[in-house]
Amino acid sequence: MSSESRQIEQTAAALLARRDAGEWSNRDESALQAWLAKSPAHRVAFLRMEAAWKETARLKTLAAGSTHARVPPRGEWARSPYFATPIGHAPAVARRSAPRSRARRWPTVAAMAASLLVVAGIAGGLLWWRNAGHVEYGSWQTAVGGRQVVHLTDGSTATLASDSDLHAAFARHERNLDLVRGEAFFEVAHDRKRPFVVHANGYRVIAVGTRFDVRRSDDGVRVVVMRGVVRLQSSRDSAASTTDLPAGSIALVNHDNLVVRHVPLAEVAQYLSWRDGYVVFHDTPLADAIQEFNRYNNHKITIADPALDELRVGGNFRLDNSAAFVRLMQEVFPVRAEERGDTVLLSRRNIRAHGPD
Amino acid sequence: MAYAPWMGEPLDTWFTREVLTHERALMRFLHRNWRDHDEVEDLRQEIYVRVYEAASRRFPDSPKSFLFTTARNLLADRVRRQRIVSITAMGDVEQLHVLKDELEPERWCSDREALMHLAWALDRLPDRCREVFWLRRVEDLPHKEIARRLGISVKTVEKHIAKGLRLMTNDLHMDRKPKIAPAPATRARELAREPS
Repeated sequence: MSSESRQIEQTAAALLARRDAGEWSNRDESALQAWLAKSPAHRVAFLRMEAAWKETARLKTLAAGSTHARVPPRGEWARSPYFATPIGHAPAVARRSAPRSRARRWPTVAAMAASLLVVAGIAGGLLWWRNAGHVEYGSWQTAVGGRQVVHLTDGSTATLASDSDLHAAFARHERNLDLVRGEAFFEVAHDRKRPFVVHANGYRVIAVGTRFDVRRSDDGVRVVVMRGVVRLQSSRDSAASTTDLPAGSIALVNHDNLVVRHVPLAEVAQYLSWRDGYVVFHDTPLADAIQEFNRYNNHKITIADPALDELRVGGNFRLDNSAAFVRLMQEVFPVRAEERGDTVLLSRRNIRAHGPD
Repeated sequence: MAYAPWMGEPLDTWFTREVLTHERALMRFLHRNWRDHDEVEDLRQEIYVRVYEAASRRFPDSPKSFLFTTARNLLADRVRRQRIVSITAMGDVEQLHVLKDELEPERWCSDREALMHLAWALDRLPDRCREVFWLRRVEDLPHKEIARRLGISVKTVEKHIAKGLRLMTNDLHMDRKPKIAPAPATRARELAREPS
């Protein structure tokens, strides 16, 4: 590596470390901006390190079972609970809601499964009980902005999106789930003898072993299939209206009208990005984008001018940061945002100031 | 104040999201196609600058193929500049192949894999640096508290963090088992070096 590139990397890293130390003044900020503006080489080096710095925030997961007393020796992280879980049961979301580490040793692998259930439970009220007829019941709710991974007793997992309500009743020959509100993603443990049935808005979504997402809307259901095949049925007349949806299907059904789109799996993944806390827009009408944010935030966004509905939005956004989204909208669109109590009102901004068009 | 440069800079966000995420594939490509591995980081830096500057005029439709086209052109330029390039060598450069897996979307990397890679990179840091980085990024302690615990100055903490970040940034974009043997495409460069 040339000394020049090395020098740039060192300066970028020093600036980020300095900023991380806190007490970052306006003067520090303008010094940074000046350095960045000096050369695109500075800027790309900085962006690169900044992205890596953000990535290292994931390391916090390792604290989940560590003792505060010491920095563990190299390689010991391999014994962290996070890595001890079998593949397919990684608590992808639980890590965000994990309580701050307490002074205890990393537990043994055996103790693991239990602690994960506790972690998931704390997030939103885990409730399992068993009645005399060997039917297991459970129910889970998430608040607006919440997200929860539920490990079901059959080995399946359900990930609840914001503002959702899911009930489960598992009998010996059937696994029934009722999506009362919102959206959930299911990773179904294979069990041919016990179909896995999600009930939502008068429809049944039936899986044997697969991964899929079910979302309720006001009058219908959307099903996204990531792996395997699921069967979609109307609860009213199951014989007449049954459709099998292979992986890559996006099905929308309401009033017994069914629309199915088949998309590449990469695109399917974008419908499921909420599980990681962000949303992907591609040429999405602003109105739809805002509806998506509003599902996740109590601070609602409203469009005051219908002319704005058709503006198209693209990009990845953090679902819990609608303020950043609104700021960005103002930067790139002729849009003005105004705080009105609990809502943000978006209206058209006069752009004549920018010169003749 | 919460600092978020991308809010005012759609370009920076775009660059971070659409270009930097392909660094591992890019590094693989460069290592395979360029013999002098010491130069690879400089090449990467120059490619980034070119992509960033081009995107400041117009966002490329397909960031990933634009990145690799830029990379290929840069390598070709470098070979041309040697001035002693034989026709065969040029032919090879034009065909510097980008492997199919490099043009496909990044394989989905689970949270678990990403964390494993991070932990691996963390373990590669020198002792003190690793300790400081752990306390900051895992335990989330403020610099002052880290300084107190380790009996070092706050300035030293900052230095360790800067160093750790620099080392980790490079390791994050490296395959855990780096491939050492360069592939045949490196021939272009070797030929270019031969006196005509």
